[in-house]
Amino acid sequence: MAGSGRDERAWVRRAQAGSASDFEALFRAHWGPAYRAAYLVVRDAAAAEDIAQEGFLAAVRALDRFDRRRPFGPWLHRIVVNRAIDWARARALRPEGEQVDSPAPERPERDEQLFRELAGLSPEHRAVIVLRYLLDYTPGEIAELLELPRGTVNSRLRRGLDSLKERL
Amino acid sequence: MRFRAPHEHEAEERAWQVVGAAYAEREPVAWPRRHVRPLAAAALVAAVAAAALSPPGRSVVHSLREAVGVQKAEPALFSLPTPGQLLVTSRKGAWLVHRDGSKRLLGRYRDATFSPHGLFIAATRANQLVALDPKGNVRWTLARPAPRFPSWTGTRTDTRITYLSAGRLRIVAGDGTGDHPVEAGGRGASGADTATIRRHGGQSEVVARGRVVFRGTGVFDQALWSPNHRWLLVTWPTADQWVFVRPGTPRRIVGASRISVQFGGFPRVQDWCCGR
Repeated sequence: MAGSGRDERAWVRRAQAGSASDFEALFRAHWGPAYRAAYLVVRDAAAAEDIAQEGFLAAVRALDRFDRRRPFGPWLHRIVVNRAIDWARARALRPEGEQVDSPAPERPERDEQLFRELAGLSPEHRAVIVLRYLLDYTPGEIAELLELPRGTVNSRLRRGLDSLKERL
Repeated sequence: MRFRAPHEHEAEERAWQVVGAAYAEREPVAWPRRHVRPLAAAALVAAVAAAALSPPGRSVVHSLREAVGVQKAEPALFSLPTPGQLLVTSRKGAWLVHRDGSKRLLGRYRDATFSPHGLFIAATRANQLVALDPKGNVRWTLARPAPRFPSWTGTRTDTRITYLSAGRLRIVAGDGTGDHPVEAGGRGASGADTATIRRHGGQSEVVARGRVVFRGTGVFDQALWSPNHRWLLVTWPTADQWVFVRPGTPRRIVGASRISVQFGGFPRVQDWCCGR
């Protein structure tokens, strides 16, 4: 899991100064949430890996300019989720019959259907639900992350949840 | 919500190889204090100018994102970062990879090379040299024992394919006529702008234009320049990745992971051709 705000600020500061171990701590703390979020939006493990990796490569590029007073997680998740939405949209336009990965075996049985039905939502609806219920962002934070009006986030959440409820 | 995505740990380790290498190679910006105020003033002027020039409705956040250098997401992650197409071979055969990331299995061929303008492909299989179009349609075939390593050179109107067959170098016109053996004399000078892979200990590094441009753990297999010589493709079987590196300032790194799954075995890049 991600470290406390203080840990994270210290990792960022020391990573900016050249500490590889602190940069690794930052990476390890944030890989899981970033990869899971990407996976839940794109439903393709290889693409999710590329998307999350690209997010971290963007972080490396921007590390020296990163404002340490701001939390790292939302910044990374914004890149990752936006890329995941773009990827999912592009794939919808270019269906290739790609194989969708099977769910992880350790997942509790009752979640199986929920995650399957989540895949049936549009990438935009999936993204707000993942950010809200997997990464625990508030609707206001999601609006900021995705650069959307707050009302749009709320309506996507509502429609996404309604649609999931119907399917379940 | 308790949830783990498939292959999470393996993905993390693979990604760390690339991300850690990118971090190790980065050049931190050390701003002297005396530059801070002029830079702040310049940034303010630039910001005001940008705001004045921005089309209506363009969000401040979007402008900021551009200002800090976070690039717009590519439509497909596994896309080539520069114009051109790749020819690769894996256990499944020869593949044509387009810039947008779409790929086509051309057939069970061992080697493949583009014609000089990328309009056709010469490929080999057990006892045939084959010319194909980019859709994989066979244009002509030539039966020869165990042909290997075709190389297609020439101009738009006069092209030749050289290849090895039964230990002899042979040459055939681009239309499949006039096949005959030749004395080995070399293809001419190789490009001066080559990239070299060096290995020491458990590390590999790519040296190009007199400097190390990328370094990582394990084995790099190939390092090839893009047709416009701006990007290097480093193939990295240890990490199961292709890493595209644009040397220079600012340096950029783009990775594509789980390459083996995508090609049915880790592929060998045969050719990278033609900005398109």
